[in-house]
Amino acid sequence: MITTKGLTKVYRTRDREVTALDGVDLHVREGEVHGVVGQSGAGKSTLIRAVNLLEVPTSGTVTVDGTDLTALAGNGKRAGAELRKARARIGMVFQHFNLLSARTVQDNVELPLEILGHSGAERSRKALELLDLVGLADKAKAYPAQLSGGQKQRVGIARALAGDPKVLLSDEATSALDPETTRSILQLLRDLNRDLGLTVLLITHEMDVVKAVCDSASLMKNGKITESGALSDLLATPGSEIAAELFPLTGDPLGAPDRTVVDITFLGENTGQPVISHLARTYNIDVSILGAAMDTVGGKQVGRMRIELPGPYEENVVPIGFLREQGLQIEIVGAADAVKDTQLVAGVAQ
Amino acid sequence: MNWSEIRPELLTGLYETVAMVGWASLIAVIGGVPLGVLLVLTDRGRPLQNALINKVIGFVVNVGRSLPFIILMLALTAFTRALTGTSIGLTGAIVPLAISAIPFFARLVETAVREVDGGLVEAVQAMGGSTRTVVFKALLPQALPSLVAGLTTTVVALIGYSAMAGAVGGGGLGDVAIRYGYQRYEGGVMLATVVLLVVLVNVVQLIGDFFVRTLSDRTTRSAAWLRAPRRTRTTVTAVASVGLVGALTAGTLGLTSEGDAGSDETITVAATPTPHGDIVKFVADNLAKDAGLKVEVKEFTDYVKPNEALANGDVDANFFQHVPFLDDFNKKKHTDLVPTVGILVEPIGIYSKSVDDVSALGSGDTIALPNDTTNEGRALHLLDDQGLIKLKKGTGLDASLNDIADDGGLTLKPLEAAQTPRALEDVDAAIVNGNYAIGAGLTPKKDALVLEKAKGNPYINILAVKKEDRDDPAIKKLGQLLNSDATKKFMEKKFPSSIPVFGPVK
Ligand SMILES: Nc1ncnc2c1ncn2[C@@H]1O[C@H](COP(=O)(O)OP(=O)(O)O)[C@@H](O)[C@H]1O
Ligand SMILES: [Mg+2]
Repeated sequence: MITTKGLTKVYRTRDREVTALDGVDLHVREGEVHGVVGQSGAGKSTLIRAVNLLEVPTSGTVTVDGTDLTALAGNGKRAGAELRKARARIGMVFQHFNLLSARTVQDNVELPLEILGHSGAERSRKALELLDLVGLADKAKAYPAQLSGGQKQRVGIARALAGDPKVLLSDEATSALDPETTRSILQLLRDLNRDLGLTVLLITHEMDVVKAVCDSASLMKNGKITESGALSDLLATPGSEIAAELFPLTGDPLGAPDRTVVDITFLGENTGQPVISHLARTYNIDVSILGAAMDTVGGKQVGRMRIELPGPYEENVVPIGFLREQGLQIEIVGAADAVKDTQLVAGVAQ
Repeated sequence: MNWSEIRPELLTGLYETVAMVGWASLIAVIGGVPLGVLLVLTDRGRPLQNALINKVIGFVVNVGRSLPFIILMLALTAFTRALTGTSIGLTGAIVPLAISAIPFFARLVETAVREVDGGLVEAVQAMGGSTRTVVFKALLPQALPSLVAGLTTTVVALIGYSAMAGAVGGGGLGDVAIRYGYQRYEGGVMLATVVLLVVLVNVVQLIGDFFVRTLSDRTTRSAAWLRAPRRTRTTVTAVASVGLVGALTAGTLGLTSEGDAGSDETITVAATPTPHGDIVKFVADNLAKDAGLKVEVKEFTDYVKPNEALANGDVDANFFQHVPFLDDFNKKKHTDLVPTVGILVEPIGIYSKSVDDVSALGSGDTIALPNDTTNEGRALHLLDDQGLIKLKKGTGLDASLNDIADDGGLTLKPLEAAQTPRALEDVDAAIVNGNYAIGAGLTPKKDALVLEKAKGNPYINILAVKKEDRDDPAIKKLGQLLNSDATKKFMEKKFPSSIPVFGPVK
């Protein structure tokens, strides 16, 4: 649904150049909720603004719903009629809502319809319908200043839906909201995704958001996407930073000198099985559990556990092989002089 | 002056102020909004980014902002004339007022529009809006409260500027204050105009504040205006706008048509208020009709404009100056204005509050004198005649302080001519023009230590016309009326210090 190829954006100021996007290849499938995470300044906002060409990329292409938007864009800051028409089919919601304070809630939602040239009666019918959809039917005549943050964002979402978009872009839409409100807005996005088949690209710096609504995610660093994929795949990928952030495990990863620390990820049907006791019994070893967590990610049950086996890595090759045979994701995070095949780095936070 | 005389002047002045400021504000909005919006849109990182256009508009606006209004008004004469056919009167004042208000308001619009959250622009663009949509649906509506506040500031500034409109005969309350309150020393009129102006400015500010508050107060919606349905609001706005523009148009036409009611017999005479304006008024009201003449007086509070208005045909004659002044103007402006008849001399005199005789003045004393070329020369010659100073040999009428050979130990203090009577308290003596002396409540014949001689005085105030009109029958007729016995009687009674000196002047 959304594909970017080799997307690059260089900001030139008088004295320096900033490469905000450095060859970004992003792919979001139809009907998917895709999250982009990364530290502040990583280029997330630049990326999402490039998707509807609010930011004209220095090079690379953006294709949304089969249309190459970069081909429609002129070379100036002004958008031609073709591009504007394409934008009308891409909804966008903003961190600070960006509602027009001089207009009522209903008039805000009608604005995209005015731009599309709908008649007055048609506009008001559609606006009321959308306000009903986001649960604000009774606030149609209110002004934005009379609403709470969550209500404002609902208006923002209703407005974004006015052009019957197939794609919704959201830049930190919940970052200005409290946790409770965040949850209800995310639920709304999830519902819209399910009920309307809306493809959602959302930018966030909060892993909880990804955990709550995303099917897939990408991690951005210094203008590049360093990993990307369905959450279940990422969780199954050794060394995935997104997975580590989604499931931070407590416990000292280095363990004692003559011990081996192993992270195990359970996915789907595996979660119900008594693997650890099975391991302990089969090999007659003392397994210490350093940390464990169970959660729902992208609508699926996922569990993670950090265990410690006695003895160095070499002595544990067989038990670890057993765990792999059970279809579990295994990661050796710490062992005395063990192979460090991974680097767990934290720091996905703003 | 009694109340029944003052009232019509005040009403006309009030109306002229409202008309001038009203039209100028309207034009300022029409011109200032697009300029202000363009200043923002063409700036870096904005939808119509264009450094060249941005710099050019910015420069033009700055030029307009930096010129003092009075200079702008006098400099725009040719332009105003080309645009409206006249450079004087109400119309002559509206054009420069509007021209100075456009850049002023444009900067306020720029600030207001710049303050609109960039996120809103982005939101409108993201929903497929064009730059036009951004301007009309986001920038202007969001900036509306600030725009109204800016307009209020502009209107108040215009009311202030309009006080200077008298220089081009534009009238208005400020002009009434200058002509009656300042130049004719009518304290009551001065007070009344000041009160009216204060009330006017406050009313404008109150109305402006009301709308700003109503527009920005979207949370409470307490204002009745906002509770009304949109259709009602649109209708009210439309009716009010049409009414306002209609009233302004009707009133302005009424006011301006007076001046050029156009029968061939009408002669418009430019004059400074006292005594010249009053003398022409006397002729117009009492003598003209029997002579089959219609005379209009156009009062100016500036000494350049009446000659300019005569030279370009806005008026048919003027009466405020003496021959040396006219010669100087003709030379500098390459015009061909000529004197017809002499009317009066207003002897310049030496006045003092501290001594009773010229002989008492001498070394160590300070004397104030007018600072404009002609009057300074005149004053220096008077001092020379009285033996208080010695001018260099061969010094002409245009004597200046540099032409003094021996100052007799006096300190000479040049001031604006109108200020010299006011300086009497602070100096030992002052040289004061006749009209200003009378204005200050002095009686020249009685109060002056010494006066210029009327006989052979080169400073006779004359009726001037364009050269080709010198022999025009109507002009000749007017000359006769001004030189009539009735006029002489009027002058002797009303302006005892103005000595009638009638007869043709070359
Ligand atoms: N208009 C701009 N001009 C210059 N530099 C910019 C501009 N917008 C963003 N940047 C720079 O590009 C980089 C990426 O910014 P952004 O996309 O906003 O990051 P994020 O949304 O991930 O915090 C930052 O270094 C930022 O300073
Ligand atoms: Mg950002």
